[in-house]
Amino acid sequence: MITTNPFAGLAEYGITPGMMMAFVILMVLAVVVGTALDVLHKKSHKYFFEHEERMKKLATRELSSAEKTSMLIQTITSEVLTSSEFHNPKRRLAHLLKMYGFVLFVLSSAVLIFAYPTTADAPFWAFLWHLGAIMVAIGGYWFFFSLRVDVQSEGNKWWNLKKRDLFIVSLLATVTFGLLWSLFGTVVLFALFIISTAVLFGSVYWSKFAHMFFKPAAAYQKRKLMADGSRENLPPFYKRAEVLDQSTMDLVRDIPKDQKFGLCIMKDEPKHY
Amino acid sequence: MAYKTIVVDNIDILVVGAGLSGTGAAWEARYWGQDKKIVIAEKANIYRSGAVAMGLYAINCYMGTRFGENNPEDHVRYARNDLMGMVREDLLFDMARHVDSAVHQFEEWGLPLMRDPETGKYQREGKWQIMIHGESYKPIVAMAAIKSADKVYNRICVTHLLMDEAKENRVAGAVGFNVRTGDFYVFKSKTVIVAAGGASMIYKPRSTGEGAGRVWYAPWSSGSAYGLLIQAGAKMTQMENRIVLARFKDGYGPVGAYFLHLKTYTQNAYGEEYESHWYDELKKMVGEYIDHHPVPTCLRNHALIREVLAGRGPIHMVTMHSFQDPHLEEVGWHNFLGMTVGQAVLWAANDVDPKCENPELTTSEPYVMGSHATGCGAWVSGPEDVSPPEYFWGYNRMTTVHGLFGAGDAAGGTPHAFSSGSFTEGRLAAKAACQYIDDGKAEGIVVSERQIEELREKIYKPLENYKIWRNEIVAGTVSPTVLLPKQGLIRMQKIMDEYCGGVSMQYMTNERLLNIGLMKLQLLKEDMEMLAAADLHELLRCWELHHRVLTSEAVMHHTLFRKETRWPGYYYRGDHLYLDDENWHVLTVSRRDPKTGEYTMEKAPLYHIVGDVEEEYEKKKKAKKKAS
Amino acid sequence: MPTFVYMTRCDGCGYCVDICPSDIMHIDDTWRRAYNLEPDMCWECYSCVKACPMHAIDVRGYADFCPLGHAVRVHRDEEEGIIAWRIKFRSGRIKDLVAPITTKPWGKFIPNLREVAPPTDEQRKSQLLFNEPKYIRLDDGDLYTLESQGLKMRQGVYY
Repeated sequence: MITTNPFAGLAEYGITPGMMMAFVILMVLAVVVGTALDVLHKKSHKYFFEHEERMKKLATRELSSAEKTSMLIQTITSEVLTSSEFHNPKRRLAHLLKMYGFVLFVLSSAVLIFAYPTTADAPFWAFLWHLGAIMVAIGGYWFFFSLRVDVQSEGNKWWNLKKRDLFIVSLLATVTFGLLWSLFGTVVLFALFIISTAVLFGSVYWSKFAHMFFKPAAAYQKRKLMADGSRENLPPFYKRAEVLDQSTMDLVRDIPKDQKFGLCIMKDEPKHY
Repeated sequence: MAYKTIVVDNIDILVVGAGLSGTGAAWEARYWGQDKKIVIAEKANIYRSGAVAMGLYAINCYMGTRFGENNPEDHVRYARNDLMGMVREDLLFDMARHVDSAVHQFEEWGLPLMRDPETGKYQREGKWQIMIHGESYKPIVAMAAIKSADKVYNRICVTHLLMDEAKENRVAGAVGFNVRTGDFYVFKSKTVIVAAGGASMIYKPRSTGEGAGRVWYAPWSSGSAYGLLIQAGAKMTQMENRIVLARFKDGYGPVGAYFLHLKTYTQNAYGEEYESHWYDELKKMVGEYIDHHPVPTCLRNHALIREVLAGRGPIHMVTMHSFQDPHLEEVGWHNFLGMTVGQAVLWAANDVDPKCENPELTTSEPYVMGSHATGCGAWVSGPEDVSPPEYFWGYNRMTTVHGLFGAGDAAGGTPHAFSSGSFTEGRLAAKAACQYIDDGKAEGIVVSERQIEELREKIYKPLENYKIWRNEIVAGTVSPTVLLPKQGLIRMQKIMDEYCGGVSMQYMTNERLLNIGLMKLQLLKEDMEMLAAADLHELLRCWELHHRVLTSEAVMHHTLFRKETRWPGYYYRGDHLYLDDENWHVLTVSRRDPKTGEYTMEKAPLYHIVGDVEEEYEKKKKAKKKAS
Repeated sequence: MPTFVYMTRCDGCGYCVDICPSDIMHIDDTWRRAYNLEPDMCWECYSCVKACPMHAIDVRGYADFCPLGHAVRVHRDEEEGIIAWRIKFRSGRIKDLVAPITTKPWGKFIPNLREVAPPTDEQRKSQLLFNEPKYIRLDDGDLYTLESQGLKMRQGVYY
């Protein structure tokens, strides 16, 4: 079942491979246009560069291009590929499931539609398509029901949907209806799948979709600013042993230098209610 | 509305509010009631709630008997003097004799207390204050309370106390709602210790935009200590004794360490010492109280206020000398970062370097509370071995409602308790509450479903009001029918400011103004039936407003009752502009009838601790009289 | 100095919502990130700033009286038991400060009062609290009373 190409039987509904290909191209265009509009209309790119210029004035040293390259690589391996920016390990895991699942899902969809438009037997890509959808579903539903901060920390009920949920809901709808359609193959499920896909990719301008483009850029910028001494005005992140000669540190001078105190407020998950 | 009703039953000790006094209560209760059910209901998150959420750079109440520094009675005399005589000395003595044991435990738990490198004693800031690195003061005491309590219910806004229906005037628990989930919480308890906060924001603030949040006392101190007790019909005392603070302008950063430890001092715009300009005037108003040492806080305020009105403002804190010493400069900055970060932000924004200029001081809008240099709060019983009969009815820190205890801001007549003293009062109340239960005083409490249902309906009414009357208008905040909590707050602040001696009246009021004010407050209370809340956050603000308005009303009645000006510099009764020891050397006590809302006022006798010091003083006074 | 949240730094973890004593840090409807919904009820207590693992929250002095161009930023480290501050003045001058926040592992030295020896009847009847009289002066002396101090409670004006 999960090794069968679900797009192969579309002719039954009178949908030609050309139509599907056109749909995929349309979706790609929707994302490009939505993102471009988002950036241009909100001038977020301008803010991004002006902020960097302003912070550069506070820099205490100049970064070499080798350093910048190394930071770029670190950003890619750490924030982009393993979502290290998430403080909460559960959120990080859920995000990785969603992200890699989504990449597999989109990639395999494109391959199946363009390379195997009428071939039911494309086990490798069909498997990836299903796997991707399942990964998105696992990470997505976990996030949706218990990890969303408005649910976890604000105590909101999961059904209390707002504009911020447009992306996750359309994403979940896409993979859920996609899987159900692949399983049961009814035209209604296929229609729902197509509609939710269209909403997911067509709503970039209004949803949180565009964040996937600015997040890596922001992470890279943060690395640079922390390294060039401007630190976004943050103080150095000292270890206790480094500051024992400060006059106010009398009280901890006698405590072993490698003593760790454990956690207090930060020990618990942020849901005290 | 689909909010659940959650009943927490069989509680022995319910602590309402977990600031310093609430954490002290919960902590201690476990020792005297090892098998008792101890529950905390806290409006925010216990790790950062109450007035110490931001941290403190000093513990302002520490005797140091261990180092031979002060005795408890010395502190009583100090607080008595500062409050122009109007304190409950039994309660003060009791707090002072226990307070050091709390501080010694804080040190053991990990609170960084500074020590004088030469003497090994705690580093004194002044006679009563010791210096600490108290950024995590609150998380540390919170951990103690969490360890002792059976359960801490965070984010519960307690709105009302439950009353026993079997026995008149006995408490039965409390109700409130969860600010996150919205669920209705019913706490059925044998005793309740009200350890909630005093009242900020009941007077119009000097800063009215964003800066309204930079109040001297925490904005979340919503007068619930008073609102809850007054609603339950507990007697209150000294509610007229609101406090005005002389602080750094706009940021209201602390001045204690600056005066005491950094040895800074004040001067007027022309570099003159100015307090002596007002000596004669004060001598006429308050007589020999002006000759006391140290000069009572309110009288020093008076000099500052009058000097500015005389056109010789602003008043400056002279920091330029002390701050040349890099160590003292560092202490000065840590002092702000440890307890009033906003003052550091303000100076950073304005490029103020106290090494190079002398920052401005000002007097704040008034605040109503009971643990700083003022003693508003409930009329509570003192300890058996100290209190005279008028001050004692069985259980230490119990209000006039059976089973209902008060500590910290909630206990009246005990100023200068500060953080450590409030924690200690919580401990005292907790022990007494355990005793009360063990004596069988809490048997047979009855709470009907009807009482609970009525309260439930009342609590959620603002949400209902909003939903229904939202349909009347297109958009915006202007409605002919309902009142938003912010609108009600500002209306109350204006009434208090203009009729009850706020900052724009230079703290002046009189009988006529107060009567008009009470009438206007009555209209506000009627309109508050139509308070509207769009969400749970606003519902929280609605109930905070209720507590603030109940506090305001008590302040008005008390101010009206005391026909003298006892604390020039805190407020002035223009129709009685002098201190009157002959008629008013008494404590004021009020009770609001919960059924009718009517106030009754009475005078309670003032007892003083008398020892060698006082007898010596009396002798001198008599000799002086004879000589003249 | 109400708090505000940097859009590109907040990851929507909820620590600020959870800790704010004034209940003003909430999650935005559009971005699922935190923001200050009632700046005039902000005490600038820095509870949320210190709790933010991303350093995404900052403070801009109250508009009523603070010119722009300043910063007071903080890094609170529970494991290390210290807090570090950086004050940036409008002029660009910078001041760094650091202080201890605890001297013991958090909570480890707070006794569990369920497990200590229960109080005797005599202690119950006395005026003593837990660990007293020892902790009052850390010696063997007793609690202070009116008698021990040669005091009386009397009505009237006595000073």
